[in-house]
Amino acid sequence: MSRSERTSFPISVGLRRLLAGGFILFLVLLLFLPRQSQEWLGQMGGPMALILEGPLHGVAAIQDSVGETWNHYIALQHVWEDNQRLKQEIQQLQGEQNRLREQAILTREFQKLSLYQATAPMTTLPARIIGRNASNWYQAMIINKGTRDGIHAEMGVITDAGVVGRVVRVNPTTSVVLLLSDPNVAITGMIQTSRDEGIIQGTPQGNIHMKYLPPLSPVQVGDVVVTSGLTKDFPRGLHIGHIQQITKAATDLFQSGEITPIVDFSKLEGVLVVTSFQPTIADESPLSKEPLPVP
Amino acid sequence: MIIALQIALCLGTVVAQATLSTMLSVHGIYPDLCLVLACLVGFFTNEYKGFMLGLMVGLFQDLLSPGGIGLNMILKGLAGGLAGVTIHTISTVTASAVIIVTLALSLGGGLASLMVAYPVLNGSESLHAISWVLVPQALYNSLLAAGFFWFTLTIRHSLGVVHFSERRR
Repeated sequence: MSRSERTSFPISVGLRRLLAGGFILFLVLLLFLPRQSQEWLGQMGGPMALILEGPLHGVAAIQDSVGETWNHYIALQHVWEDNQRLKQEIQQLQGEQNRLREQAILTREFQKLSLYQATAPMTTLPARIIGRNASNWYQAMIINKGTRDGIHAEMGVITDAGVVGRVVRVNPTTSVVLLLSDPNVAITGMIQTSRDEGIIQGTPQGNIHMKYLPPLSPVQVGDVVVTSGLTKDFPRGLHIGHIQQITKAATDLFQSGEITPIVDFSKLEGVLVVTSFQPTIADESPLSKEPLPVP
Repeated sequence: MIIALQIALCLGTVVAQATLSTMLSVHGIYPDLCLVLACLVGFFTNEYKGFMLGLMVGLFQDLLSPGGIGLNMILKGLAGGLAGVTIHTISTVTASAVIIVTLALSLGGGLASLMVAYPVLNGSESLHAISWVLVPQALYNSLLAAGFFWFTLTIRHSLGVVHFSERRR
């Protein structure tokens, strides 16, 4: 059976060739038609495009789905491990950051102390606080300097802000400092403005008390209290605190007052131990210029 | 070896007392870990060992304390010894017995420390120190001792170790 016989519409070979030639010519002519004339072709192709869009969207959806699956499940199979590793890194970095911040704070504090040490009219030794009161009945702290560093009992302990306390026990590499708020510490102090002197002592409640102020002293709440320099552990003029409350009963011979300390004892991390200083009286005298060592 | 361990235990306790006390404080009340240790050793062993370990831990505590050397040594030694004596008087030492004995020892020791540390306190100051420091601290110490006692007993039972009081009988 020939090809022409198999078709349902028997067309001669010549006619088919003619039709094919005409169709090709039509296509060629379409290319040369002006754009406006091609619009009707677009309108004709619109429904056909709708037919194409369905499968096109379908394929795109499948492609997206496959891509999503790939990206979320197959390509991300190591992301959990990466996440864990990164979390660990973050924790390490946070720890490191915290350590550096802590170091920076300490450095800043010791820089302040160092600056004060350089300008203060006394010889001091910086020390770090390594412990608090080992027994419950004293308000004390332990510093990392001892007899090997030249520390002796009864030396004064200060910060750049003011007076902290006094060394009471010295071991080879550590010392115990009794804070000013302990009742077993008493130093001489004076009101900065009126120059009235008194004894400053701690109380069992952890407050600081100023006793034996002259009865006629014009002391007022808020007055600054400084060391008087009469004892051999602190030079004159170191800040202790300010008067918070004044007490004077009619039967009392002296006035007394509560002092708010300038130093926050609970937040101390570094201190300066006063090893020697120039006493004020000796300063004024031309005869003696040698520093007085603390006994 | 055991002596080295005991020394290490005493040193560790004193260092913990000096460095961790701020973390352990409750409203400004610090536990006396050295007293707790001496009492527990007395409870778990005998009066002699309690006394000796109490002396040692007290000596270490005195070295880091502003007070004179000897006070804590004697007080902790006595506390350890007296805690050991209770084993002979009580058939089975329980956590409640530990609380009572430690409370009494802590109150006595605290009172002695108070009198030595602040010999010139007036009446109101003494009352304040007793009611706001001494008694709460003794309670804290006794609860801590009972907690450690219970914990150690639990561990010992879980490990199949014979109870000391049973062994004695």
